[in-house]
Amino acid sequence: MAGQLSMAAAIVGAAEANEIGFLEEPVTALQLHIEAIRNLSIQTGVPIAKIEGVFSTGWSSELCEHLGIKPKYIDTTAVGGCSFEMHVHHAMAAIHAGIIDIALVSHGENGHSARKIGGGGAGNYGRGGGVASPAQEMTMAYGLGSAPSNYAHAMVRHMHRFGTTTEDFAHIAKVTRDWATLNPRAAMYSKKKHPFGGPITVEQVETSRLIAWPLTILHCCMVADHGGAVLVASPKVAAGLNTKPVWIAGAGESMGHSNMLEMDDFTATSAGISSTAAYTMAGLGPDDMEMAQLYDSFTITAAITAEMLGLAPRGEGHLLWKNGHAAPGGRLPINTNGGGLSFNHSGMYGMPLLIEAYRQLSGTAEDGINGDKGKQTSARTCVVNGTGGSLSTTATLVLVADD
Amino acid sequence: MSYPFPIPTPGTHTRPFWEGAKLGKLMLPRCQDCNRVHWYPRFLCPVCHSNNLEWVQASGEGRIHTYAVQHLAFGPWAKEAPFVTAYIDLNEGDRMLTVLRGVDPNKPQDIKIGARVRVEFEAANDDMHIPFWRVVED
Repeated sequence: MAGQLSMAAAIVGAAEANEIGFLEEPVTALQLHIEAIRNLSIQTGVPIAKIEGVFSTGWSSELCEHLGIKPKYIDTTAVGGCSFEMHVHHAMAAIHAGIIDIALVSHGENGHSARKIGGGGAGNYGRGGGVASPAQEMTMAYGLGSAPSNYAHAMVRHMHRFGTTTEDFAHIAKVTRDWATLNPRAAMYSKKKHPFGGPITVEQVETSRLIAWPLTILHCCMVADHGGAVLVASPKVAAGLNTKPVWIAGAGESMGHSNMLEMDDFTATSAGISSTAAYTMAGLGPDDMEMAQLYDSFTITAAITAEMLGLAPRGEGHLLWKNGHAAPGGRLPINTNGGGLSFNHSGMYGMPLLIEAYRQLSGTAEDGINGDKGKQTSARTCVVNGTGGSLSTTATLVLVADD
Repeated sequence: MSYPFPIPTPGTHTRPFWEGAKLGKLMLPRCQDCNRVHWYPRFLCPVCHSNNLEWVQASGEGRIHTYAVQHLAFGPWAKEAPFVTAYIDLNEGDRMLTVLRGVDPNKPQDIKIGARVRVEFEAANDDMHIPFWRVVED
């Protein structure tokens, strides 16, 4: 039985910044936000002035000021890359409660440009300076400095528990790259676009440079520039727009831990909890899903997430890719834009998940160019799952196409 | 030569841990209501939410829960790469992070999950002795 909140709102548009990827001319995160918001307004025909609620990871007041909006609802949930799926959940609740009819969810992050010009702007991912938390105090001495340094521990535990191999996970990177070669917007679309772009083999994934054993660099997502925005609206507003609505049938969120030190089971995330909530709200289950958009910060993240969402049995998530089900033409397309591994990943990947899910279910996923095959699929349902922190926080959405 | 790596600044409620470390003792917080040991140190027991906590001396022994080899590190650790990091299941319960000693980072397959480890302390300065775990024979 679907819950009351189910279908209370729809995503009615999704857009990106003008240029994304490894930008030669550095951009600020704010510029990436604003370009995406303007493109979204043009796409949907909804004037920026009509936006009533603003949802972002810490940026909401700065965005409102920049745009001259006086919002009725502000949310700045910032718990990592899944924050944007949570924003959609929260926006739907606010719309259902009658507080607002139109909500903006916005993202801008200059992960690449920041190396040249710094972070620039007020948005932030989490805690500020000052005294360290006890978890930081007790972990800072041991040389972990990046996401892969942490995530590698989960992959080793998965291999120990389920007998999986690095080669099993390498298939995820290979298949995801195959999708990227169908998407001209993907950073790794072709060799012409990026020296390391174009198709890759499982062997190349296995033998590429080690970052944190067993993770080679091709098991890891990129860090590039990305801006994107989606509009969430009430059924009444959606009915008056030219863009197609994609309905939010279910939403759920949870967390397992903040610091990986507190991760109870290194082969499981809270996506089990968040997806159960989302499926229950939707009155649908994993077998009803015809597509998945999963945060693939690393190959292991995608594999574990597929297991947590019930798309594969425990320990067998990688088989979706290895057996070709997740690949172009497969029965369950996954990460059809090329994922964080090969499309784009700016630091928090939740927004590209939403944009690709919207495009696929509204029939606007780009075609290929120059005679290339496009990436549009025939899927009518899609499960979207963001993961934040160190396999810490998760949010799941069940989206369905309009009739 | 002075200790090259980042040295934690003790928090307001973690002093007993660092005082113990100076004496070569691994001190862990334990809840006097539910008897559970937890790590990292809390203001409330994370299991039963009691504030009736005490510090107890632990065995200093545990087993490898999982590990990884860091080939890309930052700051002073960059020069040390590759090195092995591990999460340690403490004999008393709960888990600690460490840079693992007594293993070959170039042979990661030879490191065994479940292998026995013992804590040792390295003096970073007069006040701060940092715990590290070393693989020992079974």
